[in-house]
Amino acid sequence: MALPHIFEASWPDPTKLGVDSKSAAVLLNESKETFAGHLKVRSDEINFLGEPNLGFYLGIAGLLSTDSRLVYSNIDRMEIFAIADSLGPNSSPLQLKASKTGQIDFAGLAPKDLATLQLCNRETGTIQSQRELNCESVFVDATASGIRIPLPQNWSTALWESTSWAGPSGLGILAVSKKANWKNPLPHLDSRINPGPTSLPLIVASALAIDSWAADEKNLSAKIAAINLDIRNYITNNIPDSDLAPHGADHLISASFLYVNAEQLVTTLADKGFAVDSGSACSATNMQPSHVLAALGVLTQGNIRLTIHHAITFDEVKTFLEVLKATVEELRK
Amino acid sequence: METLDCLGKRCPLPIIEVAKKIADQDPGFKVLLLSDDPASAPDLVAWARMTGNSVEVIDQKTFEITKSAN
Repeated sequence: MALPHIFEASWPDPTKLGVDSKSAAVLLNESKETFAGHLKVRSDEINFLGEPNLGFYLGIAGLLSTDSRLVYSNIDRMEIFAIADSLGPNSSPLQLKASKTGQIDFAGLAPKDLATLQLCNRETGTIQSQRELNCESVFVDATASGIRIPLPQNWSTALWESTSWAGPSGLGILAVSKKANWKNPLPHLDSRINPGPTSLPLIVASALAIDSWAADEKNLSAKIAAINLDIRNYITNNIPDSDLAPHGADHLISASFLYVNAEQLVTTLADKGFAVDSGSACSATNMQPSHVLAALGVLTQGNIRLTIHHAITFDEVKTFLEVLKATVEELRK
Repeated sequence: METLDCLGKRCPLPIIEVAKKIADQDPGFKVLLLSDDPASAPDLVAWARMTGNSVEVIDQKTFEITKSAN
Protein backbone atom coordinates (compact mmCIF):
# COMPACT_ATOMS: atom_id res chain seq x y z
CA MET A 1 0.00 0.00 0.00
CA ALA A 2 1.39 3.40 -0.94
CA LEU A 3 1.74 6.06 1.72
CA PRO A 4 -0.95 8.51 0.43
CA HIS A 5 -3.45 5.64 0.40
CA ILE A 6 -2.55 4.75 3.99
CA PHE A 7 -3.46 8.28 5.09
CA GLU A 8 -6.70 8.13 3.09
CA ALA A 9 -7.81 4.78 4.47
CA SER A 10 -6.80 5.29 8.07
CA TRP A 11 -8.12 8.74 8.98
CA PRO A 12 -11.27 7.53 10.83
CA ASP A 13 -11.21 6.54 14.50
CA PRO A 14 -11.23 2.70 14.46
CA THR A 15 -13.24 2.60 17.71
CA LYS A 16 -16.29 4.37 16.21
CA LEU A 17 -19.22 2.79 14.37
CA GLY A 18 -19.26 4.25 10.84
CA VAL A 19 -18.39 2.26 7.74
CA ASP A 20 -15.10 4.13 7.36
CA SER A 21 -14.30 3.44 11.00
CA LYS A 22 -14.96 -0.24 10.46
CA SER A 23 -12.49 -0.40 7.60
CA ALA A 24 -9.97 1.52 9.74
CA ALA A 25 -10.53 -1.07 12.50
CA VAL A 26 -9.80 -3.83 9.98
CA LEU A 27 -6.54 -2.09 9.03
CA LEU A 28 -5.60 -1.79 12.70
CA ASN A 29 -6.32 -5.46 13.36
CA GLU A 30 -4.39 -6.58 10.29
CA SER A 31 -1.44 -4.49 11.43
CA LYS A 32 -1.60 -6.04 14.90
CA GLU A 33 -1.58 -9.51 13.39
CA THR A 34 1.42 -8.59 11.24
CA PHE A 35 3.36 -7.36 14.29
CA ALA A 36 2.29 -10.35 16.38
CA GLY A 37 3.72 -12.67 13.74
CA HIS A 38 7.09 -10.95 13.59
CA LEU A 39 7.45 -10.14 17.30
CA LYS A 40 6.24 -13.62 18.35
CA VAL A 41 3.65 -12.32 20.82
CA ARG A 42 -0.16 -12.54 20.84
CA SER A 43 -1.93 -9.73 19.00
CA ASP A 44 -3.93 -8.90 22.15
CA GLU A 45 -0.63 -8.36 24.00
CA ILE A 46 0.35 -5.56 21.60
CA ASN A 47 -0.05 -1.88 22.48
CA PHE A 48 1.03 1.00 20.27
CA LEU A 49 2.73 4.07 21.70
CA GLY A 50 3.02 7.47 20.05
CA GLU A 51 5.83 8.24 22.51
CA PRO A 52 8.11 5.19 22.27
CA ASN A 53 10.20 6.14 25.32
CA LEU A 54 7.08 6.23 27.49
CA GLY A 55 7.22 2.45 27.09
CA PHE A 56 10.18 2.24 29.48
CA TYR A 57 8.06 3.71 32.27
CA LEU A 58 4.88 1.78 31.42
CA GLY A 59 6.78 -1.47 30.98
CA ILE A 60 8.81 -1.19 34.18
CA ALA A 61 6.64 0.75 36.67
CA GLY A 62 3.63 -1.43 35.75
CA LEU A 63 5.52 -4.51 37.00
CA LEU A 64 6.85 -3.01 40.25
CA SER A 65 5.10 -3.92 43.47
CA THR A 66 5.90 -2.90 47.03
CA ASP A 67 8.03 -5.99 47.64
CA SER A 68 9.86 -6.14 44.31
CA ARG A 69 13.33 -4.75 43.62
CA LEU A 70 14.30 -3.18 40.29
CA VAL A 71 17.54 -4.69 38.95
CA TYR A 72 19.01 -2.93 35.90
CA SER A 73 22.45 -2.43 34.38
CA ASN A 74 24.92 0.40 33.83
CA ILE A 75 24.58 0.05 30.04
CA ASP A 76 20.77 0.30 30.10
CA ARG A 77 19.09 3.31 28.50
CA MET A 78 19.11 6.57 30.50
CA GLU A 79 15.29 6.35 30.61
CA ILE A 80 15.73 3.34 32.93
CA PHE A 81 18.26 5.24 35.10
CA ALA A 82 15.62 7.98 35.45
CA ILE A 83 12.99 5.43 36.56
CA ALA A 84 15.38 3.93 39.13
CA ASP A 85 16.15 7.44 40.44
CA SER A 86 12.47 8.29 40.74
CA LEU A 87 11.54 5.29 42.92
CA GLY A 88 10.82 5.91 46.60
CA PRO A 89 13.51 5.76 49.30
CA ASN A 90 12.54 2.21 50.37
CA SER A 91 12.87 0.63 46.94
CA SER A 92 16.74 0.41 46.76
CA PRO A 93 17.13 -0.54 43.09
CA LEU A 94 20.26 -2.49 42.16
CA GLN A 95 22.49 -1.44 39.27
CA LEU A 96 24.59 -4.30 37.85
CA LYS A 97 27.93 -3.50 36.18
CA ALA A 98 28.64 -4.79 32.69
CA SER A 99 31.94 -6.57 32.05
CA LYS A 100 34.42 -5.02 29.58
CA THR A 101 32.70 -6.99 26.84
CA GLY A 102 29.31 -5.62 27.92
CA GLN A 103 27.94 -8.82 29.46
CA ILE A 104 25.77 -8.61 32.59
CA ASP A 105 26.03 -11.23 35.32
CA PHE A 106 22.45 -11.84 36.53
CA ALA A 107 23.45 -14.62 38.97
CA GLY A 108 22.46 -12.54 42.01
CA LEU A 109 18.80 -12.11 41.06
CA ALA A 110 16.29 -12.83 43.83
CA PRO A 111 12.96 -14.60 43.05
CA LYS A 112 10.83 -11.45 43.58
CA ASP A 113 13.07 -9.16 41.48
CA LEU A 114 12.03 -7.19 38.41
CA ALA A 115 14.99 -7.30 36.03
CA THR A 116 15.55 -5.24 32.89
CA LEU A 117 17.09 -7.11 29.96
CA GLN A 118 18.56 -5.16 27.06
CA LEU A 119 18.70 -7.60 24.15
CA CYS A 120 21.04 -5.34 22.17
CA ASN A 121 22.73 -2.06 23.08
CA ARG A 122 21.84 0.65 20.60
CA GLU A 123 25.28 2.30 20.74
CA THR A 124 27.71 -0.60 20.67
CA GLY A 125 25.49 -3.44 19.46
CA THR A 126 26.38 -5.53 22.53
CA ILE A 127 24.11 -8.58 22.66
CA GLN A 128 23.40 -10.12 26.06
CA SER A 129 24.24 -13.80 25.98
CA GLN A 130 22.28 -14.64 29.15
CA ARG A 131 18.68 -13.93 28.22
CA GLU A 132 16.70 -16.37 30.37
CA LEU A 133 16.54 -14.68 33.77
CA ASN A 134 15.53 -16.34 36.98
CA CYS A 135 13.13 -13.87 38.61
CA GLU A 136 9.46 -12.96 38.79
CA SER A 137 9.31 -10.18 36.18
CA VAL A 138 11.45 -9.26 33.19
CA PHE A 139 11.21 -6.03 31.19
CA VAL A 140 12.82 -6.56 27.78
CA ASP A 141 14.35 -3.60 25.95
CA ALA A 142 14.18 -4.65 22.32
CA THR A 143 14.37 -1.09 20.99
CA ALA A 144 17.72 -1.65 19.25
CA SER A 145 17.42 -5.34 18.38
CA GLY A 146 14.03 -5.10 16.70
CA ILE A 147 13.19 -8.58 15.46
CA ARG A 148 16.82 -9.78 15.18
CA ILE A 149 16.81 -11.44 18.62
CA PRO A 150 13.85 -13.45 19.96
CA LEU A 151 12.21 -12.66 23.29
CA PRO A 152 13.26 -14.82 26.25
CA GLN A 153 10.69 -17.38 27.47
CA ASN A 154 9.72 -15.57 30.66
CA TRP A 155 9.35 -12.00 29.37
CA SER A 156 6.74 -9.89 31.18
CA THR A 157 6.80 -6.65 29.18
CA ALA A 158 8.79 -5.81 26.04
CA LEU A 159 9.40 -2.59 24.13
CA TRP A 160 10.24 -2.14 20.44
CA GLU A 161 10.83 0.94 18.33
CA SER A 162 9.49 1.13 14.79
CA THR A 163 12.76 2.67 13.50
CA SER A 164 14.60 -0.62 14.23
CA TRP A 165 12.84 -2.19 11.21
CA ALA A 166 13.23 1.00 9.16
CA GLY A 167 9.64 1.97 9.95
CA PRO A 168 8.50 5.53 10.68
CA SER A 169 9.81 7.22 13.84
CA GLY A 170 7.46 8.20 16.65
CA LEU A 171 5.98 4.75 17.09
CA GLY A 172 6.75 2.24 19.81
CA ILE A 173 5.23 -1.14 20.57
CA LEU A 174 4.81 -2.25 24.15
CA ALA A 175 3.83 -5.88 24.64
CA VAL A 176 2.42 -6.85 28.00
CA SER A 177 2.40 -10.60 28.53
CA LYS A 178 -0.93 -12.14 29.55
CA LYS A 179 1.06 -14.01 32.21
CA ALA A 180 2.54 -10.82 33.70
CA ASN A 181 1.25 -9.23 36.86
CA TRP A 182 1.04 -5.76 35.30
CA LYS A 183 -0.87 -2.78 36.68
CA ASN A 184 -1.21 0.51 34.83
CA PRO A 185 1.06 3.00 36.65
CA LEU A 186 -0.62 6.00 34.95
CA PRO A 187 -3.92 7.57 36.05
CA HIS A 188 -6.59 5.65 34.10
CA LEU A 189 -10.33 4.94 34.06
CA ASP A 190 -10.44 1.96 31.74
CA SER A 191 -8.33 -1.03 30.77
CA ARG A 192 -6.34 0.71 28.02
CA ILE A 193 -2.61 0.34 28.54
CA ASN A 194 -1.59 3.57 26.82
CA PRO A 195 -3.64 6.76 27.01
CA GLY A 196 -3.60 6.91 23.18
CA PRO A 197 -4.86 7.38 20.57
CA THR A 198 -1.86 6.41 18.43
CA SER A 199 -1.62 7.46 14.79
CA LEU A 200 -3.16 4.70 12.66
CA PRO A 201 -1.29 5.83 9.49
CA LEU A 202 2.01 5.34 11.39
CA ILE A 203 0.92 1.91 12.62
CA VAL A 204 -0.05 0.75 9.11
CA ALA A 205 3.15 2.18 7.58
CA SER A 206 5.24 0.47 10.25
CA ALA A 207 3.46 -2.88 9.69
CA LEU A 208 4.33 -2.65 5.98
CA ALA A 209 7.90 -1.73 6.92
CA ILE A 210 8.36 -4.70 9.27
CA ASP A 211 7.17 -7.12 6.54
CA SER A 212 9.58 -5.68 4.00
CA TRP A 213 12.46 -5.41 6.52
CA ALA A 214 12.06 -9.06 7.55
CA ALA A 215 12.12 -10.19 3.91
CA ASP A 216 15.24 -8.08 3.19
CA GLU A 217 17.02 -9.25 6.33
CA LYS A 218 16.90 -12.86 5.14
CA ASN A 219 18.78 -11.91 1.99
CA LEU A 220 21.00 -9.16 3.33
CA SER A 221 22.14 -10.18 6.82
CA ALA A 222 25.27 -11.85 5.39
CA LYS A 223 26.15 -8.64 3.53
CA ILE A 224 25.69 -6.55 6.71
CA ALA A 225 27.97 -8.97 8.61
CA ALA A 226 30.63 -8.72 5.91
CA ILE A 227 30.44 -4.91 5.87
CA ASN A 228 30.79 -4.85 9.65
CA LEU A 229 34.00 -6.90 9.43
CA ASP A 230 35.35 -4.73 6.60
CA ILE A 231 34.81 -1.57 8.63
CA ARG A 232 36.38 -3.06 11.76
CA ASN A 233 39.41 -4.38 9.89
CA TYR A 234 39.93 -1.14 7.99
CA ILE A 235 39.79 1.03 11.11
CA THR A 236 42.08 -1.30 13.09
CA ASN A 237 44.66 -1.56 10.31
CA ASN A 238 44.57 1.92 8.79
CA ILE A 239 43.62 4.47 11.45
CA PRO A 240 46.08 4.54 14.36
CA ASP A 241 44.96 5.32 17.93
CA SER A 242 41.44 4.07 17.29
CA ASP A 243 39.30 2.18 19.78
CA LEU A 244 36.42 -0.08 18.74
CA ALA A 245 33.69 -1.22 21.10
CA PRO A 246 33.52 -5.06 21.17
CA HIS A 247 31.71 -6.64 18.21
CA GLY A 248 28.02 -7.28 18.92
CA ALA A 249 25.08 -6.98 16.51
CA ASP A 250 26.33 -6.70 12.94
CA HIS A 251 24.39 -3.55 12.06
CA LEU A 252 26.03 -1.41 14.77
CA ILE A 253 29.61 -0.20 15.22
CA SER A 254 30.99 2.28 17.74
CA ALA A 255 34.48 3.61 17.00
CA SER A 256 36.51 6.26 18.84
CA PHE A 257 39.58 8.17 17.70
CA LEU A 258 42.11 9.59 20.14
CA TYR A 259 42.85 13.36 19.98
CA VAL A 260 39.82 14.01 17.76
CA ASN A 261 36.93 16.37 18.49
CA ALA A 262 33.76 14.35 17.79
CA GLU A 263 31.62 17.36 16.99
CA GLN A 264 34.06 18.36 14.22
CA LEU A 265 34.29 14.76 13.03
CA VAL A 266 30.50 14.35 12.80
CA THR A 267 29.94 17.70 11.07
CA THR A 268 32.81 17.16 8.60
CA LEU A 269 31.45 13.69 7.73
CA ALA A 270 27.96 15.20 7.35
CA ASP A 271 29.36 17.83 4.95
CA LYS A 272 30.79 15.00 2.89
CA GLY A 273 27.44 13.21 2.77
CA PHE A 274 27.69 10.69 5.62
CA ALA A 275 25.20 10.75 8.52
CA VAL A 276 26.75 9.32 11.70
CA ASP A 277 25.88 9.74 15.37
CA SER A 278 28.26 10.22 18.30
CA GLY A 279 28.48 9.29 21.97
CA SER A 280 31.09 11.91 22.82
CA ALA A 281 30.42 14.60 25.43
CA CYS A 282 30.97 17.49 23.03
CA SER A 283 28.17 16.26 20.77
CA ALA A 284 25.68 15.46 23.58
CA THR A 285 23.00 17.91 24.68
CA ASN A 286 23.92 17.35 28.35
CA MET A 287 27.70 17.57 27.63
CA GLN A 288 28.20 14.17 29.29
CA PRO A 289 30.10 11.38 27.55
CA SER A 290 28.20 8.21 26.68
CA HIS A 291 27.58 6.21 29.88
CA VAL A 292 27.75 3.02 27.79
CA LEU A 293 31.24 3.70 26.41
CA ALA A 294 32.44 4.78 29.87
CA ALA A 295 31.01 1.58 31.44
CA LEU A 296 32.81 -0.59 28.88
CA GLY A 297 36.08 1.36 29.24
CA VAL A 298 35.95 2.40 25.58
CA LEU A 299 37.37 5.83 24.69
CA THR A 300 34.53 8.40 24.63
CA GLN A 301 36.31 11.22 22.76
CA GLY A 302 36.22 11.34 18.97
CA ASN A 303 33.42 8.76 18.95
CA ILE A 304 31.17 7.87 16.03
CA ARG A 305 28.30 5.38 15.95
CA LEU A 306 27.56 3.70 12.67
CA THR A 307 24.33 1.98 11.69
CA ILE A 308 24.64 -0.29 8.66
CA HIS A 309 21.31 -0.21 6.83
CA HIS A 310 20.16 -2.83 4.34
CA ALA A 311 20.64 -0.55 1.33
CA ILE A 312 24.31 0.28 2.08
CA THR A 313 26.70 -0.99 -0.61
CA PHE A 314 30.34 -2.11 -0.37
CA ASP A 315 31.33 0.79 -2.64
CA GLU A 316 29.67 3.33 -0.33
CA VAL A 317 31.48 1.78 2.64
CA LYS A 318 34.83 1.94 0.82
CA THR A 319 34.34 5.65 0.05
CA PHE A 320 33.20 6.31 3.60
CA LEU A 321 36.24 4.64 5.12
CA GLU A 322 38.65 6.63 2.93
CA VAL A 323 36.85 9.86 3.88
CA LEU A 324 36.89 8.83 7.56
CA LYS A 325 40.65 8.16 7.52
CA ALA A 326 41.40 11.48 5.76
CA THR A 327 39.09 13.39 8.13
CA VAL A 328 40.61 11.88 11.29
CA GLU A 329 44.11 12.73 9.99
CA GLU A 330 43.05 16.27 9.13
CA LEU A 331 41.43 16.89 12.52
CA ARG A 332 44.50 15.59 14.36
CA LYS A 333 46.78 18.20 12.75
CA MET B 1 56.05 17.46 39.66
CA GLU B 2 54.72 19.78 36.98
CA THR B 3 51.03 20.65 36.97
CA LEU B 4 49.02 20.96 33.76
CA ASP B 5 45.95 23.10 34.40
CA CYS B 6 43.21 22.18 31.93
CA LEU B 7 40.30 23.32 34.09
CA GLY B 8 37.49 24.64 31.89
CA LYS B 9 38.84 22.92 28.76
CA ARG B 10 36.58 20.43 27.00
CA CYS B 11 37.40 17.03 25.56
CA PRO B 12 39.58 16.19 23.68
CA LEU B 13 41.83 19.17 24.66
CA PRO B 14 43.03 17.94 28.09
CA ILE B 15 44.27 14.63 26.64
CA ILE B 16 45.88 16.35 23.64
CA GLU B 17 47.75 18.63 26.06
CA VAL B 18 48.90 15.69 28.19
CA ALA B 19 50.18 13.87 25.09
CA LYS B 20 52.07 17.00 23.96
CA LYS B 21 53.50 17.56 27.42
CA ILE B 22 55.01 14.08 27.74
CA ALA B 23 56.02 13.66 24.07
CA ASP B 24 59.66 14.75 24.45
CA GLN B 25 60.12 13.55 28.03
CA ASP B 26 62.00 10.52 29.34
CA PRO B 27 60.17 7.40 30.56
CA GLY B 28 59.08 7.83 34.15
CA PHE B 29 58.25 11.53 33.65
CA LYS B 30 55.25 12.53 35.75
CA VAL B 31 52.74 15.32 35.35
CA LEU B 32 49.71 16.27 37.43
CA LEU B 33 46.65 17.07 35.30
CA LEU B 34 43.79 19.19 36.58
CA SER B 35 40.68 18.74 34.47
CA ASP B 36 37.00 19.17 35.26
CA ASP B 37 35.74 17.83 31.94
CA PRO B 38 33.38 14.89 32.63
CA ALA B 39 35.03 12.86 29.85
CA SER B 40 38.54 13.14 31.32
CA ALA B 41 38.24 10.40 33.96
CA PRO B 42 37.02 7.62 31.61
CA ASP B 43 39.13 8.84 28.68
CA LEU B 44 42.44 9.08 30.55
CA VAL B 45 42.01 5.45 31.59
CA ALA B 46 41.24 4.46 27.97
CA TRP B 47 44.17 6.60 26.72
CA ALA B 48 46.53 4.88 29.17
CA ARG B 49 45.33 1.45 27.96
CA MET B 50 45.80 2.46 24.31
CA THR B 51 49.17 4.20 24.65
CA GLY B 52 50.79 2.16 27.45
CA ASN B 53 51.26 5.18 29.73
CA SER B 54 49.83 5.07 33.23
CA VAL B 55 47.24 7.20 34.96
CA GLU B 56 46.37 7.38 38.61
CA VAL B 57 42.97 8.92 39.29
CA ILE B 58 43.52 10.94 42.47
CA ASP B 59 40.03 12.41 42.42
CA GLN B 60 37.56 13.16 39.63
CA LYS B 61 39.47 16.35 38.74
CA THR B 62 43.09 15.39 39.51
CA PHE B 63 45.13 12.81 37.64
CA GLU B 64 48.79 11.76 37.94
CA ILE B 65 50.22 10.67 34.61
CA THR B 66 53.46 8.69 34.23
CA LYS B 67 55.14 8.27 30.86
CA SER B 68 55.89 4.66 29.96
CA ALA B 69 59.11 3.19 28.58
CA ASN B 70 57.82 2.76 25.03
